[in-house]
Amino acid sequence: MKIDTEDDVILVRRAVRDLAQAHGFDVFATAALTTAASELTRNVWVHAGKGIAVIEEVASDEQEGVRVTFQDEGPGIADIDRVLAGGFSTARSMGLGLSGSRRLVDAFDLRSIVGRGTTVEIVKWKAI
Amino acid sequence: MPGAIPILRMGNVLLTTVHIELRDAVAEAFQADVLSAIEKRRTSGLIIDISGLDMVDTYVARILAETGRMARLMGTETVLCGMRPEVSATLVRMGYSMQGVHAALDLDEGLALLRDLQNSTKT
Amino acid sequence: MNTHRRFMKTLKLDEAELRSRRAFCELGEDDLARLRSIRPFAEKHTAEVVDAFYALLLSHEATRKLFPDDATVRRVKRSQSEYFLGLFEGRCDLAYVEDRLRVGAAHERIGLAPKWYLLAYRKYLDLLRERLFQAFPEAEAAAAFGSIQKVVFFDMTIAIDTYIAANLETIQRHQAALRELSTPVIRVHDRILLLPLVGAIDSARALQIMDAVLLRIVEEKAKCIILDIAGVPVVDTKVADNLVKTTASVRLLGAQTILTGISAQVARTMVQLGVDISTMHTRSFLQEGIELALEIVGKKIIAKEA
Repeated sequence: MKIDTEDDVILVRRAVRDLAQAHGFDVFATAALTTAASELTRNVWVHAGKGIAVIEEVASDEQEGVRVTFQDEGPGIADIDRVLAGGFSTARSMGLGLSGSRRLVDAFDLRSIVGRGTTVEIVKWKAI
Repeated sequence: MPGAIPILRMGNVLLTTVHIELRDAVAEAFQADVLSAIEKRRTSGLIIDISGLDMVDTYVARILAETGRMARLMGTETVLCGMRPEVSATLVRMGYSMQGVHAALDLDEGLALLRDLQNSTKT
Repeated sequence: MNTHRRFMKTLKLDEAELRSRRAFCELGEDDLARLRSIRPFAEKHTAEVVDAFYALLLSHEATRKLFPDDATVRRVKRSQSEYFLGLFEGRCDLAYVEDRLRVGAAHERIGLAPKWYLLAYRKYLDLLRERLFQAFPEAEAAAAFGSIQKVVFFDMTIAIDTYIAANLETIQRHQAALRELSTPVIRVHDRILLLPLVGAIDSARALQIMDAVLLRIVEEKAKCIILDIAGVPVVDTKVADNLVKTTASVRLLGAQTILTGISAQVARTMVQLGVDISTMHTRSFLQEGIELALEIVGKKIIAKEA
């Protein structure tokens, strides 16, 4: 999915919610994943202006889940550790966006090159 | 987009129900609408019913909490009503516990809580 | 979803898995063609092989009780004939696997233990070998028997998988039941809930406790929840952090948390860990917690006048 307007925040999280529900996630897991997707989509839109979100189902030997990958070619993040520790405040996201999202999902992978862009990959497994 | 979320007045209490998926612009307009309503007439309490929201991200949470703190500066206590369990769990797990606003299970409880708060400040 | 369809998903039986099994089993197109070519032979012998096969099953006490009456025996003989002829259809695709899983699920349902299933196959192969060597020249019979063995072993892996999948599901159901038992949220009084926590609390359980508590509070419109931690052996940073988080989310719903059963040891740890307990009510005994809860909902326990 493309992210380039504010409405995409709503569209992406709606798509994520639908897929989570289709996979039988409970209300807590659905809310957690949807909220994380909302935060990360807003991050792309606010900091990079545009980017993409890829929503897909994943399966391992024991469980199934949903993975969302956010990719942008924005300014990138210079101090990843500090951002992930929380408290890194920017105009719109109050710094809890990234660190908060990380606490909501089971896997969180952030890669960023200053001046080149940022990729964040999150996975939420379905509670058995 | 002012006026997207209606604000009702019952005596000196403002009553609002947020039941649509909040776009950022709507959330900001909502904050402005509430504050100007408080400014116009003496208001002792603000009730925000969010039972219709199945997701509140930090952006919307911040707008709601800020609105509460701003309202308090203007002498109005805010009560968030009907937050769903999954929304509460998600916000707290992100490290966001909405300090500065009161909470109640539903509208009735919210109104009762406002009454209690008023009584306790009078004595 | 049908049981066998669900098993197919649980066992991840897809095209790739099928290819891999067939390769390991060396079950090739030539085998399938060979089986197709001797189908007339199979048709001719179906009835006697099936009869002889059930003669064994009915002669043994443990297996006999699975077939309580003649109607059942007639029915299973009919499906057995279909199964038997299925071996000579010469196909081995996902539809075939699904069909085998259906049979396996049926075995599991009627309670046919895997041991009887596997041992019964021995008889099957015996009966077939005998008749093959009577009907065909030795080299041909040997080749045909080789192909049959491959299909039969392939079938056996699927049948065993069915038992495993069924067991997995049972275990998962039990685990879910256990988890539910480990968070027994009790309604003590109107709008007052109690959760006695017993045993060690790891992260997964802590999350689940929080979710269960929040759901029940909304369901019961509770004003307060008493968390009694007298039965929790160790309160470390993680447990304490989860108690604080639960308190915070309970507050957002409009209810209050009362923490009781705090021993001297736990109190010491919590203060030393710097846990912020300012947001929760705490009492050392459950009884005091209940009194406080009643006060919150505007009630009181008073002694009956003599």
